[in-house]
Amino acid sequence: MFNDFVAPSLYPAAPEIFLLFMACVILLVDLGVKSPRRTLTFVLTQLTLLGCAAITLLTSNTEVVYTFSGMFVDDMMADLLKLLVYGAVMLALFYSREYIQDRQAIPKGEYFVLALLATLGMLVMISANHFLTLYLGLEMMSLSLYAMVALNRESAISTEAAMKYFILGALASGLLLYGMSMIYGATGSLEITEVGERLYTYSVDKSVLVFGIVFLVAGLAFKLGVVPFHMWVPDVYHGAPTSVTLFIAAAPKLAAFAIVMRLLVSGLITQAADWQGMLIVLSVLSMGIGNLVAIAQTNIKRMLAYSAISHMGFMLLGIVTGVVGGDARFALNAYSSAMFYVVTYVLTTLAGFGLIMMLTRAGFESDELDDFKGLNKRSPWFAAMMMFVMLSMAGIPFFVGFFAKFSVLQAVVAAGYYWLAVAAVLFSLVGAFYYLRVVKLMYFDEPKIQEPIEGPLFIKVLVSANGLAVAALGLFPQFLMSLCAYALMRSLT
Amino acid sequence: MDFKTTVFFFLSAILIFAGLRVITARNPVHAVLHLILAFFTSAGLWLLLQAEFLAMVLVMVYIGAVMVLFLFVVMMLDINLDQLRQGFWKYLPLGAVIGILIAIEMGMVLGSRYFQVLDSEVPGVAANASNTRELGALLSTDYVYPFELAAVVLLVAIVAAVALTFRGPKKTRYTDPAAQIRVKAADRVRVVKMPVEKQD
Amino acid sequence: MLSLSHFLILGAILFAISIVGIFLNRKNLIVLLMAIELMLLSVNMNFVAFSRYMQDPNGQLFVFFILAVAAAEAAVGLAILVLLFRNLKTIHVDDLDSLKG
Repeated sequence: MFNDFVAPSLYPAAPEIFLLFMACVILLVDLGVKSPRRTLTFVLTQLTLLGCAAITLLTSNTEVVYTFSGMFVDDMMADLLKLLVYGAVMLALFYSREYIQDRQAIPKGEYFVLALLATLGMLVMISANHFLTLYLGLEMMSLSLYAMVALNRESAISTEAAMKYFILGALASGLLLYGMSMIYGATGSLEITEVGERLYTYSVDKSVLVFGIVFLVAGLAFKLGVVPFHMWVPDVYHGAPTSVTLFIAAAPKLAAFAIVMRLLVSGLITQAADWQGMLIVLSVLSMGIGNLVAIAQTNIKRMLAYSAISHMGFMLLGIVTGVVGGDARFALNAYSSAMFYVVTYVLTTLAGFGLIMMLTRAGFESDELDDFKGLNKRSPWFAAMMMFVMLSMAGIPFFVGFFAKFSVLQAVVAAGYYWLAVAAVLFSLVGAFYYLRVVKLMYFDEPKIQEPIEGPLFIKVLVSANGLAVAALGLFPQFLMSLCAYALMRSLT
Repeated sequence: MDFKTTVFFFLSAILIFAGLRVITARNPVHAVLHLILAFFTSAGLWLLLQAEFLAMVLVMVYIGAVMVLFLFVVMMLDINLDQLRQGFWKYLPLGAVIGILIAIEMGMVLGSRYFQVLDSEVPGVAANASNTRELGALLSTDYVYPFELAAVVLLVAIVAAVALTFRGPKKTRYTDPAAQIRVKAADRVRVVKMPVEKQD
Repeated sequence: MLSLSHFLILGAILFAISIVGIFLNRKNLIVLLMAIELMLLSVNMNFVAFSRYMQDPNGQLFVFFILAVAAAEAAVGLAILVLLFRNLKTIHVDDLDSLKG
């Protein structure tokens, strides 16, 4: 029946295979680790990620390679995003080491294994070229994240956040699947590039396709956390242990960018006019509501959650303006600006949450805005780092966030959406208010707590390097920008 | 109406009734039982669509394992039934209207001419063809990668469920005869020397 | 005469029931989980119907995987539910009010 079947090449999926193998090994090794610090498990986890990065670098090439009967794609965009995911996960795990140590209820071994399995899910999403692999990767990541949010088992607020995350995440998966079923019905294919080709060559019933796209976009919007599908974001950011909030706020955004690119750009680019309208509405609403509601927050985790909503809305602008009216001249610029935006946002948010975690102690979360009062008196150095993060998120010139916003706005103007650019700038100005308020609290208010900031030297150095990178990339953004553009140029044909 | 259509309408009526009962039942146990009915009826509809393997999987795996898990959890948790229904009837009319609107709007698209493919236009499956063999062959060739991924998803579920609910081995009390025999008087009685305290 | 539309509309009705169930049952988490199962059933109905009418087994395989993932999802969901019940002694949605989304 299938005599012509050729065994697929495993070579492009080498990082995923290595990661899975090591996750299973670590799960078993952890049984024998008795120390409460779980140093061996931690070191093995970090080495695994380092090994994955080495394998990805060694196996990367500039060609687009398909394997597993076209279900898996390995291109430059995938390689770059995967390397960034490893980096984000490694940093997140370094920052969370002391935090989870101080909280007895969190099972340490499972924490690292679930983090690795979530990372595997992200890799699968990034390389997905089939609705099925995309869905499986998404579920692999989401299920691990739901569990990680609830992992602080004695905290009622964490469990509550996990339940909300779970219900809304499952609802989003349902919507996404319904959309996929309609697109399957309209085109007869489940392979993303194949769907794109069929839409290009055959005429397909328009109403059915739009019907499918509505559900697909709604599902993606839930996962990205943009308005009006954002309800879970502030609750999960607030309720989850800060180390898990950091994890959710960073690497999954890269994977979410990848699936948006795969589904909407690789698969449904012929229908761009249909999904662009929906994305513009989502994007404007997210920038507006995200920035306005953030002003009213007194908890810094909730504030950063609303800030994340507005940043995701801003990122969508880059995806919206790629192909306008069948004109693909500016596509590469627009998509690479969106990618640059996501990458720099992840870097900045890692530094921000890393600093919040440095201020926490056993039994003290340090997640209220008031806890940042007079940080300058306690530690001028880390106050400066936090200021860099806040100024970058606000988009003040010569921090990296400014260039990210600037390049997206350039794409919006090039596409001719002047009103959209004006709206984006106005909402960013609103946003600057609450970022600068944190700076004001740190420099001009009297501290509530006097004790100096403690922590292992290595983590201090790492957080500082992360903060300085936010500033340095603002001075030299060109390298990362052209890297994003090059990766996308090699991937989109 | 031919025989197939009659069967379809009979089964869909049961399915929709069961679905409505799932979301309106007062007692969560009844809701689970109606969900089982819904799955069972769907299996019948899938037989009508000649998806024999999936119909079997749905009954054996889904009802047999997943729904039983649901039943266990519902019965294990001590739920206050009266509290659960508060405000339900207040929202019901609005919910019903919205639900009917959603169904009609979706129905208008799905009832379009594009989907009016008649059953008789599609060639039936040959009598000796095996649905299970066809799916199995695909599963072990083109679908190797998702198959492995599904295994990992199940692994994630195992790790997550154990990590969340396992509370360490139970510390039961028991007597160790060897320790009882080895015990010395000094282990049990401690003589403490204290200076005499004066009474005021 | 039976056509593809019949099955798709049946799927749409199930989908609408599950959406209403999610928004109506603001009281009971376990029914929320069941409404999500119902939603996946409606998606599965679509896939099986398309698969039959397009003579393409890929749709049926997708359903096979959705069933597997839904089982994993139910396990994790119920684990979180048990944990929640242990911490709060309730599965009443209104009691989940420490976080105001």
